[in-house]
Amino acid sequence: MSRFGPVATGLLCLLLFFAGMQALIDSGLISRYIVPPPSEILQSFGRVVMEENIGRRFLVTLSECLTAGVMITVFGVAGGVLLYRYKLLQQAVETWVAALAAAPVVLAYPLFMVIFGRNSWTIIMIGFVAALPPVILKTLEGLLGTRKVLINVGRSFNLSASQQFWKIMFPAALPSIFVGIRLGLIFALINVVGVEFLINFGGLGQLIEDLAERYDLPGTYAAICFVILVSVLFFMAVEKLERWLRPVN
Amino acid sequence: MAQTGQLTKASERAPAVSPVTLLRIAIVLGVLAIWEFLAHSGWLYRDVVPSLVAIGRALGVLLSNPDYWFNLGVTLYEIACALAIGGISGVVVGLILGGNRFLARAFEAYLYYLGPTPKIIFFPVMIMWFGVGSGSKIALGTLSCFFPVALSVAAGMRQVDRVLVRVGKSFRANTLQMIWKIYLPAMRHPIVNGIRLGLGVALIGTLLAETKLSNKGIGFLIINAYSTFDMPRMYANLIVLFVLAIGANALVGRLGGLNTLKG
Amino acid sequence: MLQTTRSAAADAILTAEDVAIRFETAEGPVTAVDNVSFRVRQGEFLSIIGPSGCGKSTLFNVIGGLLAQHAGTVRVGGETISGPHKSIGMVFQEESTFPWRNVVDNVAFPLELTGMPKAKRLERARHFIKMVGLGGFENRYPGELSGGMRQRVSLARTLASEPKILLMDEPFAALDEQTRLLLGDKVLQIQQHLKQTTLLITHNITEAVQMSDRILVMTYRPGKVKRIIDIDLPRPRTSDIVGSEEFGRYVAQIWNDLREEASRGLRDEEEHVLHHERGGASS
Repeated sequence: MSRFGPVATGLLCLLLFFAGMQALIDSGLISRYIVPPPSEILQSFGRVVMEENIGRRFLVTLSECLTAGVMITVFGVAGGVLLYRYKLLQQAVETWVAALAAAPVVLAYPLFMVIFGRNSWTIIMIGFVAALPPVILKTLEGLLGTRKVLINVGRSFNLSASQQFWKIMFPAALPSIFVGIRLGLIFALINVVGVEFLINFGGLGQLIEDLAERYDLPGTYAAICFVILVSVLFFMAVEKLERWLRPVN
Repeated sequence: MAQTGQLTKASERAPAVSPVTLLRIAIVLGVLAIWEFLAHSGWLYRDVVPSLVAIGRALGVLLSNPDYWFNLGVTLYEIACALAIGGISGVVVGLILGGNRFLARAFEAYLYYLGPTPKIIFFPVMIMWFGVGSGSKIALGTLSCFFPVALSVAAGMRQVDRVLVRVGKSFRANTLQMIWKIYLPAMRHPIVNGIRLGLGVALIGTLLAETKLSNKGIGFLIINAYSTFDMPRMYANLIVLFVLAIGANALVGRLGGLNTLKG
Repeated sequence: MLQTTRSAAADAILTAEDVAIRFETAEGPVTAVDNVSFRVRQGEFLSIIGPSGCGKSTLFNVIGGLLAQHAGTVRVGGETISGPHKSIGMVFQEESTFPWRNVVDNVAFPLELTGMPKAKRLERARHFIKMVGLGGFENRYPGELSGGMRQRVSLARTLASEPKILLMDEPFAALDEQTRLLLGDKVLQIQQHLKQTTLLITHNITEAVQMSDRILVMTYRPGKVKRIIDIDLPRPRTSDIVGSEEFGRYVAQIWNDLREEASRGLRDEEEHVLHHERGGASS
């Protein structure tokens, strides 16, 4: 089975779907006031890009994401190292961190709005809190999972505790840490765009809300497609970055 | 002889409360103390950090108010519907993609890359299609929940140990028996994890939709507390919500038998 | 006396006629098995032995009805096989117990498929669990058992379906030698007690001579029947026989046959790696 066949089939089905929708809407079977025809949506793409300052919005969202990303890396890795270093703390707190990972942090956005105001900080902080647990947990997992034999190699060379950590444990844990950061970045993006939409502030997420409030239906659909595209590209980029950073494994 | 007697006595005097528990209690108490201090310090704007007493009172008022239980019921109903529709369709699609290599190569990438997008952005469209009532909330929850379930089931199916399938075939099990007695049990971990994840995102999707546009449900209560700046009530709502969310997640994990010997 | 004779046609319960299996691979068509024919008599223990790459596991899948694309016919009691046959019970090489079922539910599995009522099938399962020596472990889960014990559960599960022919593919390959010898004893006991027709695929010469009435030696790919040997060691047998002189002579004879096949296999492997390393310059 060639690689081309199935992929082409998938794309073909997608195109057929859009063609089908176009036909149904043009014929009036589906109201164009509820679902704009794909042709109109495509046209509004251009309009949205020109008029809505897509470039600036994209940068706003990206900077929010990256800020959250830097914060989760710093605090997440430090947190993971801390839990590794102090076993008692790890035993006490690890399940709480896991519970936080399962908690719907974004639902507390009204609370964050009260504390930080209706601005970028709310967005960044929610992204930070939601994305922090996977980084901590993966860092801890990586450090704990260092193969005993590698530790013994270090001891056989009489490394000090600090050398042991920086030359052996930490490099050995890096693959797991990168996985954690990747997961964190993805959570961060999801939450950042989501909160932008909810509080109607920021970059791309706000764009959708804006267009929806103006009842610009094709524009809203176009903006949603655009945000999905950005999200998918971001996801792919983060995956590529992670694979580049850890070539082995 | 007397010495061993002494040793036994020493170990019998070991602390009944483990140091881990002590540390946990210490942390919780510490956080609560700092909280209460901040509440009374006047440093932060008015009610941003209400006193614990105020929060406690609000909790009491909340839980004894039949109105709250009505709204909780609405939300639970919406989440249940979303989980049912999204979950079942996710399992079916996952089984199809997991079982057929061609279809998987053709379509699974779309699910994989669409999965980690924030579904809340679809809400304006959901409102157009399903109205401003529970329908749009359920739709958003379903959309959120479908992806992780489908992807987990598809991946789980591919990870089924091939020899177990051959065992079933060697005993001439029919298709239904293969699915029920071999594939599904072999996939119970990925399925349970998929449902856990699906429940988590269905909950988020449904509740966020309620905060955005609704006049019922827990999400509505939260945004309502925000708009009236009734902070103790908001905190009370959030506390109950988070307890329920984390509890439900743990319950699903436990029911799915993830920690048992059966592997 | 060491004699190599062709199998008697007598009361053959399973016949393989001109079975050939060809695959399409990236490097062109490969013949895994080339015109293999043999008969299995009722109640006998026949081993098929060969080096890695002789196609014996492929043959196992064909006889078991799990591989339909092949030339030639396999007949059981006169019927041509076109899928897993109800008279054949398979025991696989890999771990095959269901980790989510306890021992008795694992063993009762084939009976469950046929709709046997619960009490009856549990009773029947317990009978076979005792037969493999795992009485008392009915409620344990495979995760709690050792590798050897799990293979015994797989064996009991297949025996519970009471097949006319027991077809096993290197069931003890993953176990250490001592465990293997002792389990071999167990299987012999059971086979002799049930008078179970057994077809064992193996690469282990000691195992084959210890257990079999006849041994079919295969060549390296494309797998053909090199020789069929009658094992005239007395029955009932136990693993004690492993030390005897006669045993040694059978083993030596078979190793003689196998050594040249195994060497061909080794050379083939090495060439394959070299060929790939050079980037496949020649086609």
